[in-house]
Amino acid sequence: MAKAIQNNIRRLRFDRKEMTQQELADRIGVTRQTVNAIELGKYSPSLEIAFRISEVFGVPLDQVFQYR
Amino acid sequence: MSFREKSAWISFICILIFGTLYGWHAVDVEWLHARNGNSVAYVFGTMAALVALEIALHVAIAVQSPRDARTPKDEREKLIDLRASRVAFYVLFIGTLASLGLGMHLPGANRFLMAQLLMSAIITTLLVRFGVQIVLYRRDA
Repeated sequence: MAKAIQNNIRRLRFDRKEMTQQELADRIGVTRQTVNAIELGKYSPSLEIAFRISEVFGVPLDQVFQYR
Repeated sequence: MSFREKSAWISFICILIFGTLYGWHAVDVEWLHARNGNSVAYVFGTMAALVALEIALHVAIAVQSPRDARTPKDEREKLIDLRASRVAFYVLFIGTLASLGLGMHLPGANRFLMAQLLMSAIITTLLVRFGVQIVLYRRDA
């Protein structure tokens, strides 16, 4: 089976007192629709955006994104 | 629906209206000889009216969501633009070559026909560009 990039952004937002997609989008400098596309696995972000997301949640990159 | 997607829809519909009116006028003038008016004034008048309409609609959606309108395009939106432009490039390239070929070799072809074919290629290119943008925005939604 082909591998794909998966993410835990929905759970991480939930753990951060239900941080909204808009709030995360504002903090990483993209639109809310882009956060939604990343969360649903429809768009793979650049490394820079991926690092910004992990920085916002304060966790290592591999806790946000997995390749499996 | 995001601001950029609404913007793509507005541009698509305005160009579709312009293309329809332009094509109708061209057929009237060239093949039906139904009009004696000033074609240049008609075409530029229609174009100006639709540009004004497009600006007005963009202002309307910007007022509706000012924050989205002010936000610069992010990497996903730039990628969508690039993908749409790449597809549109091929349409323009093929459309231009086909227009030149048909304009030179079709029996009874003249400068007017070649100009109409080139204009059709440009309008089709723009429709494809905004159409692909809409499809890509919808796919990610």
